[in-house]
Amino acid sequence: MELLDKLTILADAAKYDVACTSCGVDRKAQKGQLGETTSAGICHAFSADGRCITLLKVLLSNVCSYDCAYCVNRRGNDIPRATFTARELAELTIGFYRRNYIEGLFLSSGVLRNPDYTTEQMCEVIHILRDEYHFRGYIHAKAVPGTSDELLVRLGVLVDRMSLNIEFPSEKSLKLLAPQKAGDAIIKPMGFIRDGIKANYQDKRLSTVRRTRFVPAGQSTQMIVGASPESDYQILNLSASLYRSFELRRVFFSAYIPVNSNPLLPTTSEVPLLREHRLYQADWLMRFYQFDVSEIIDEEHPFLDPLIDPKCNWALNHIDQFPAEVNRVPYEMLLRIPGVGVRSAKRIMLARRERALRFEDLKKLNVTMKRAQYFITCNGSYAQGVLFDPVGIYDKLTHNAQQRRFKGVLEGQLGLFEQEPQRALVRV
Amino acid sequence: MTGFSYLYDGTLEGMLSAVFVAFQRKEYPENIIVEQDLQESLFCGYIPTLTNLEHAERVQSGILNTLGVRAYDDVKHAFLSDEPSKGGVILRYLQYTMKRGSRACTHLAAPAVHDFEELCSRVSKEAHYMLQFVRFAQLSNGVFFSQIAPKANVVPLIMDHFAARFNIQPFMIYDAVHGLTGVFDTERWWLVDARELQLPAHSLQEDEFQALWQTFFDTIAIEERKNPTCQRNFMPKRFWNNMCEQVPPQLRNLRPKTKTPTQAIQVKNRLLA
Repeated sequence: MELLDKLTILADAAKYDVACTSCGVDRKAQKGQLGETTSAGICHAFSADGRCITLLKVLLSNVCSYDCAYCVNRRGNDIPRATFTARELAELTIGFYRRNYIEGLFLSSGVLRNPDYTTEQMCEVIHILRDEYHFRGYIHAKAVPGTSDELLVRLGVLVDRMSLNIEFPSEKSLKLLAPQKAGDAIIKPMGFIRDGIKANYQDKRLSTVRRTRFVPAGQSTQMIVGASPESDYQILNLSASLYRSFELRRVFFSAYIPVNSNPLLPTTSEVPLLREHRLYQADWLMRFYQFDVSEIIDEEHPFLDPLIDPKCNWALNHIDQFPAEVNRVPYEMLLRIPGVGVRSAKRIMLARRERALRFEDLKKLNVTMKRAQYFITCNGSYAQGVLFDPVGIYDKLTHNAQQRRFKGVLEGQLGLFEQEPQRALVRV
Repeated sequence: MTGFSYLYDGTLEGMLSAVFVAFQRKEYPENIIVEQDLQESLFCGYIPTLTNLEHAERVQSGILNTLGVRAYDDVKHAFLSDEPSKGGVILRYLQYTMKRGSRACTHLAAPAVHDFEELCSRVSKEAHYMLQFVRFAQLSNGVFFSQIAPKANVVPLIMDHFAARFNIQPFMIYDAVHGLTGVFDTERWWLVDARELQLPAHSLQEDEFQALWQTFFDTIAIEERKNPTCQRNFMPKRFWNNMCEQVPPQLRNLRPKTKTPTQAIQVKNRLLA
């Protein structure tokens, strides 16, 4: 089979993996060696679906001995199959990298024979890249559930980031839809990688360079949203506990796209993109805005409001803490004002040392006034024409979304859930 | 109207000399304009300034001592902008900050500082776009060549980045808009003024790599999630001309012969239904 055909098959097979980041590790260039990584990462292209392309994201092989219900590559599917040779894939990566197409390689694979054999094959590719081509770019590898600890260590020192997909937000769904990955096949290696990173980092006998050699960019995971009955409440609590107990760098969500027909899977043709978007917004609140998961969602209202973002929702439910006086409140409170992001909060902190800020100034500091105006005062006064009325604010903030919904334009791009949205009641 | 502007020769030294003149004479010109770009207006006077290396160096060390290295880097960034108002923006920034000290650089709500920050960030953003979207093609003599069309004169800002990561390969970045080429020979990089280039043909492997990349780019997108607005927001269309993956499929000579797994399943599902 020609390389071009192999690439088509193995890129297509890998495209449902969400993670495509090249961040989290700074490795300076070295004379005579190709490549470097920057801690913020660089996106080199954006595909037609608007997702970033930063790594060459492929499977080593889409031959798989597992039969997970949701997966394109399941054993039972009659599809074209291909496998890269290690040298082929290494050369492809280098060729792309030298043309500034990519930051590095994202390597996953179907389970060839057994997890250990698969991981060995993956190690071989990365070994060629690192030790023959002295490639200093970014490498993200998937750990195959069930791989032995020795092989995880071997893989861990070669790559920058490792990930294991948790796939479903509950053990029950996992057992039903991916029986070969159930049990502690995912959780155990996750814990092993976490301990490896910690031990390596704390080992005082190692030089500082070697100390950060084991999975320096940390680990991540992903779960499918909308293929199983779990609520947003369960999903967000699970990801919060993953951040806490496994020190993950990222938890990715992937809106379920029906590929296989299977009685166990929902038959909806609508991709829950809006739900995925709201989950990411909540995820950002936890990672960058100092929110606790219990502040974002509770058991009585287990789904995020599709009409309004979780930060606005929180603000409306805690309206007693508003309006916030922009010129006085501490940084932590600035972060909680809808329409104020991390950058604009920092800019406000700097700018207000010089003068008392007015509404015009806030616009210059890139505050989104459309949302912020309802929740702030500048020097004690509200923005012109704004009334401080929680119910009215909710209507105003959701006006556009409701209009679109009324006209039925929300289908597709902004698909709604099947059930009526349950909004946390505004407590005044 | 009694406004007036300074004229300078278009070099950084010239600009800094003009700044020196403004400080010396305690004048507040509206703008500092490149002499060749001048389009005279009835309501504005023009005062030519002379480039004086000594004056330029005094301004440079003044900025470094009072405002610090970062502020001087910002001034250099802002100078690379294509906007005609840049001279005035830089001058007002320096007039505002130099008498107040380095802390004034964070007075983000002050118009002088705000306008300057905006100018800088637009240049930095353009430079970052280049780090993302520069595409090299290997020529038959082994040199990796890239053509770009940025909105600011950013080649000097991006050469360090590429020279570090691609230190094993000679490369050139040709800015067709500003007529400037960055050249790297695996040891050091320099800038060449070039309006026209004569290039050797692509190397033997080049077309195959481009076809592979185009295929990968098309395949990795998920049909059901298609979102062209989002794509254009992150990757504005003005860059597409110089990106090989944007060549429409009908114009490519190499295309995959196989179906993708997703297509194969879709065909089967349709047959079943």
